[in-house]
Amino acid sequence: MRRVLRWWSGIFLAFLVVGALRVFMPLPFANEIVILSIYVMGCNFLLGRVGFISFGQPAYLAVGAYATAFYLFYFGQNPYLGILLGVLAGAVVTFLIGPFFVRLRSDYFALVNLALAVIMYYLMEKVLARITHGDNGLWFLTRMTSTSGLDLTRPGQFFVFAFVVALALWGFYKYLDETIYGACCLATKVNEDKVRFLGYSNLHIRWLAFVIANTTTALAGSLYAIYFGFVSPEITSPHRAADPVVVTILGGVGTLYGPLVGAIAYTGMKDVLSRVIVNWEFFVGFLLVFIMLAGERGLWDTLEQVLRRPRRIAGRPWTPNS
Amino acid sequence: MHNGDILAVQDLHVSYGASQVLFDVHLSIRAGQLVTCVGRNGAGKTTLLRTVAGFLRPTSGSILFNGGSLIGLRPYQIARMGLKYVPQDKRVFSDLTVRENLELASHATGDYDWAPVVEHFPRLKQLLDHKGGYLSGGERQMLMIGRALLGQPSLLLIDEPTEGLAPGLVDHLKDVLKALSRKTTLVIVEQNLPVVSAISDKIYAVKEGRIVAEISDPQAIKANVCERYL
Amino acid sequence: MDPQLLISGVIFGLSMGSIYFLLAIGLSLCFGLMRIISLDQLLYYSVGAYLTYTVQVATGNVWAAVLVGALVAGLVSLAVERFVFFRIYARDITFTMITSFGVLIGGVGAIKYIWGLIPRPAAIPIQAQAAIFGTAVPVYRLIVIALSVLVYLGITLFLNRTITGKAIRAGIEDVDHVEGLGINVYRLFTITFVIAGMLSGLAGGLHAPLIMVDPQMGLNVLAFVFMVVIIGGLGSIKGTLISAFLVGQVTSLGSLVYAPLAQMAPFAIMLGILLVKPTGLYGSKFLKR
Repeated sequence: MRRVLRWWSGIFLAFLVVGALRVFMPLPFANEIVILSIYVMGCNFLLGRVGFISFGQPAYLAVGAYATAFYLFYFGQNPYLGILLGVLAGAVVTFLIGPFFVRLRSDYFALVNLALAVIMYYLMEKVLARITHGDNGLWFLTRMTSTSGLDLTRPGQFFVFAFVVALALWGFYKYLDETIYGACCLATKVNEDKVRFLGYSNLHIRWLAFVIANTTTALAGSLYAIYFGFVSPEITSPHRAADPVVVTILGGVGTLYGPLVGAIAYTGMKDVLSRVIVNWEFFVGFLLVFIMLAGERGLWDTLEQVLRRPRRIAGRPWTPNS
Repeated sequence: MHNGDILAVQDLHVSYGASQVLFDVHLSIRAGQLVTCVGRNGAGKTTLLRTVAGFLRPTSGSILFNGGSLIGLRPYQIARMGLKYVPQDKRVFSDLTVRENLELASHATGDYDWAPVVEHFPRLKQLLDHKGGYLSGGERQMLMIGRALLGQPSLLLIDEPTEGLAPGLVDHLKDVLKALSRKTTLVIVEQNLPVVSAISDKIYAVKEGRIVAEISDPQAIKANVCERYL
Repeated sequence: MDPQLLISGVIFGLSMGSIYFLLAIGLSLCFGLMRIISLDQLLYYSVGAYLTYTVQVATGNVWAAVLVGALVAGLVSLAVERFVFFRIYARDITFTMITSFGVLIGGVGAIKYIWGLIPRPAAIPIQAQAAIFGTAVPVYRLIVIALSVLVYLGITLFLNRTITGKAIRAGIEDVDHVEGLGINVYRLFTITFVIAGMLSGLAGGLHAPLIMVDPQMGLNVLAFVFMVVIIGGLGSIKGTLISAFLVGQVTSLGSLVYAPLAQMAPFAIMLGILLVKPTGLYGSKFLKR
C-alpha cells in the first residue's frame, strides 16, 4: 500500500500544483493547460523516449477533434461518446499509417509528419469542405447534452474530467516507463542493432509507440473539440506545428513532468506576452533558439537542480543526451 | 621528455562522454624519428592520434608540438602548422579525381610542387584523371599519404597504413615510409609487427588506453620485444 | 484535354518547379555539407519576397528589387549562421532542425512586426505574354524558368570547376578529411549557407509577383519544398532538380485533372517513394537515424 502511494506521490504533487492553479487562476487558463499538457505528452514521449521528432502533431489533433466533431454535429449528442470516438479514430489512423512512418529516418519522419499536417489542413479546409464546412468549422456547442455525472458542457466540471484524464495518462506513461516495453523504446532510440540482436523488432516497438503517442494527441484533440464546442481546420494549421515541440523542449524532453511544466510555462508566457506584444511569435521563436543554444535540458531540470528534495519523491527524470 | 622534442605528450586523459579511453599517456618524439604505436584493436591508438590531430579534446594533459600547445586548436589549424593526420579509413574523395584530390591539398597548403609525391608514389601519375571511387585500396592509401605530403609537413600521423593491403604493396609501402622518415617525423599506428620491427626507431606499446612500454633499443625492436606487452 | 490548357499547365508547373528548385538546392546543400536541416531557409525566402515588394514599391524597378531581396536575404542568413548555427554544427540533426524552426518562427514574427499582417501585392515586371505552340503564356514565368536553369548551370559549374566548389563536394563526402588537409571548413560552411540563403531569397523575390506577399508565405511553401527535398533525396543536386520539376508538374497538371487532389498528390508520391527508397530518389544513406 505504501509503495503504491509512493509511486503516485510525485504525480499527485504535480497535480496538486495544477489544482492550485485552478483555484488561483482563471478557469480557461487552467483548462488550456491541462489539455495542452495532454497534447504534449504524446510528443514528449515520442521525442524523449523513442527519439522521433514530429512537426506534424496538429494532424493527429485534427483526427481526434474532427472525429468528435463529426459525431456531435451529425449524429449524436453525448460528449463522452464523442471523445471515445475521437480516441478510436486516432488509434485506427495511427495504426494504419504507423508502419510507413516509423521506418523513416528521424529527419524525414519530422518532415513527413509536417506534410501530413498540411495535407490534413487542406483536406479539412477544401477537399472535404462539404462535410467539414471548411473554414467556417463545425459548431456543436449547443448540441451537446448535459450528461449525468460530470457535465462536460460546463467548464468547471470539464476541468475535473480533463484533470482526471491527465492524471490517469500520467500514471500510464509512468507505468510504461518502468515496463520492459519502456526499456525497449529507449533501447531502440539508442542502438537499433542491439535491439535486433536481442530478438525484438524495432519496427513493432516504434509502431506501438507511434500509436500510443498519437492516440494521446488525438484524445487531446477531442478534448479541445468538446471544450470549445467547435472545430475548424485551424486546429491543424501548419503554423501550429511548432507549438508542441516548443512546449516539449521548454518542459524538458523525455522527462515525466516536462509536459506539465512546459504547458504551464508556455500558456503563461503566451497569456502574458500577448497582452504586451501583439505578435509574440517572434518571442517564442527567439526563446526556442535561446533554449536550444543554452541547453536542451528544459525548465524541469533547472527547477530540479534548484529544489533537491522533490527529486526523491518524483523519481528521476531521464534526459536523453546525458 | 626532452626539450628538443617535436612532439611531447604528457599526462593525457581522453574520454568519450562518460567512458575514459586514454589514461595518463606520455609520448616523447624527436624530430626525424619514425615512431610506431602498437597494440590490439580497441587499445586506444586511433584515439591517441585523433586527439593529437585535434579531432578530440582531451579531458586533461598537454600536447606540445615544437613547444607550442595544440590543445583547443581546430584540426585545420594544426594541419596548417605542419602536423598532418592520415586516417585509417582509406577513404579518398570518391567523386573527385586524383588530380582534384591533390589540388585540394595544394590549395590548402599553397604547395603546388607534386614532384615529391610522384617520386614516392609514381603510380599516382598514371591515375591523375581517375575518380577516387575507382581506385583500389592500395592506390587510395597512396593518395591519402601523398595528399598529406603536400605542404612539407614536419610531422605525419599515419593510422594503420598497411592494413588490408596485399603483401607486395605492404613491402613497397614499408620502403616508402622509411624513405619519408628521412625528411619528416613519422608517428605510425601499425599492427603488422614485421613492418614495425623493420622500420621503427622507437616503439610505444599501448594496452587498454595506457602506454605499457617504450622501446628505443634497436636490438629490442628487431627482436619484437614489444609483442610481450600486448 | 484542351492543348492550350495543357501547355499553360506545363509552363505553370515548370515555373513552380523552378521556385521549389531554388529553395530546395539550398536545403540540400546545407544538409549535404553541414548535416543540418535548415528550415530557416524559408525565412530567407520570405525576406527576399518582402524586400522585393518594398524596394519595388519604392523604386518601381522589380528586377533591382529582386536583386536587393536576394542580397538582403543573404545578409540575414549570414547573421544567423554566425550567431546561431556556428555554435551547433556538432549537435545532432534533430537539435539543429528544432533550432532552425525556432529561427523561422521568430523571423516570421519579426516580419509581422515590421510589415504587418496584411498581404501585399508585388507587381509583375513584365505583363507581356508570349505564344508557345499557339498558347498565350506569361513571359514572366518563362523568365523564372530560364533563371532557374541558369542557376542550376551556375551551381554545377561552381561545384565542378572552382576549388571552393570542389572542397564543398569533398566536404559532402567527408568533412573531417577536408579539415585534415588544412582547409578551414567553417568558412566553407558559411559560404554554403549564404549561397543557400541568397538562392532562397531569390526564390522569394521571383515568386512574389506571382502571389501575395504575406507573413505566412514561408510556412505555406514549407511543406511542398520539403516534399521536393525528400523525394529527391537530401544532399543530391540532381535529385532535387528532378523532383522539383516533378512536384511542379504534378500539382499543376493534376489540378487540371482534379483540383482538390492535386495538392495532395505530391504527398502521395512522397510516401510512395519513401516506401521503396527511404532516403528519397537520390538520397544519401549517410546517417543511420
